[in-house]
Amino acid sequence: MRSSAGGGPAQLADVLERVLDKGIVIAGDIQVNLLDIELLTIRLRLLVASADKAREMGIDWWEGDPFLGRGQKNEELEDRLKRLERAAGIDGDSRSGEND
Amino acid sequence: MKTTDALYVYGVVPKGTSPDIFANVGAEVELVEGGELAAIASRVPLAEFGEEALEANLKDPAWLEQKVNEHNAILAACVGVTTVLPFRFAAVYRDDDQVRRMLSERPELVDTLARLEGAVELGVKALLDPEALRARLAHARGLDPEVGSGRAYMMWKQLERELDEEVRSFAASCAEASHERLAAAAVDACVNPAQHPTVAGGEMLLNGAYLVRSDGDGEFRAALRQLQARYADDGVTYELTGPWPPYNFVGEEEAA
Repeated sequence: MRSSAGGGPAQLADVLERVLDKGIVIAGDIQVNLLDIELLTIRLRLLVASADKAREMGIDWWEGDPFLGRGQKNEELEDRLKRLERAAGIDGDSRSGEND
Repeated sequence: MKTTDALYVYGVVPKGTSPDIFANVGAEVELVEGGELAAIASRVPLAEFGEEALEANLKDPAWLEQKVNEHNAILAACVGVTTVLPFRFAAVYRDDDQVRRMLSERPELVDTLARLEGAVELGVKALLDPEALRARLAHARGLDPEVGSGRAYMMWKQLERELDEEVRSFAASCAEASHERLAAAAVDACVNPAQHPTVAGGEMLLNGAYLVRSDGDGEFRAALRQLQARYADDGVTYELTGPWPPYNFVGEEEAA
């Protein structure tokens, strides 16, 4: 049995999934769009997984990304996310709520 | 407080917790007390955490990685010392009064603290080496993976398909049995989506989180050793992470 304390992409993935996906959600005074956070979570999972694979899938990382563009309906984003998650072999159902 | 600053809240601990426990986290941390609770907070510049700045910074993976690690390090300093309720990333308040107001508006946090007292989260990831398992399954059938005549080749292709199915079936049952065994030795348990094979370093069968008593995790560790022994020959390895703050066990809708 291995035991990990720090370092490496696996450790980063463990921290990311906890700090960005879990924990108590309380609206602070500074409002950030939670959907943005969810998008970031997915993209960071991809980032730590494989930047090359993401590029193959046409995700233009952080620059000029239409994901964070304004005016797009949430449903469209959700649908697109689900397709990307499937394509990337990532189960996105940790995002609680409508998927449960 | 300068109006150019704000308060970033990492989480909540019981009132009276000593700020000394954050002495070695490499960030200036203060405790803002309200009622029975104290918020773990840092002064942050609005130039970094204001609405527009934050939105821009969130797109910078290097920034986010650093802040996420810092968030976790500060909460982790509480583990084994006091009970801590982790907040999700980027709960930012204008000033101390707003933090105290938040604490007073969330009386259920007191109950959650009581529920989680003396408990920590352990992570268990089970990884499968599918080739090791396939080799064992093929061997168990007394078959030699030699490709000779056309007939042997066809038989081998058929065997490959059967082995694929067996590996899939094994993966599902091993994941379920592992989680059941670990959950039985824990106070609470949940399963998270598997991580990508590239980052996980293999095919992840199980990505579980388990709430255990920090002074009595012997049973849990024994259960993990049992699983390791039982499935080692099948190409399964288990990785234990933590102890973590109870990130996976503070959600209000956790019951499901």
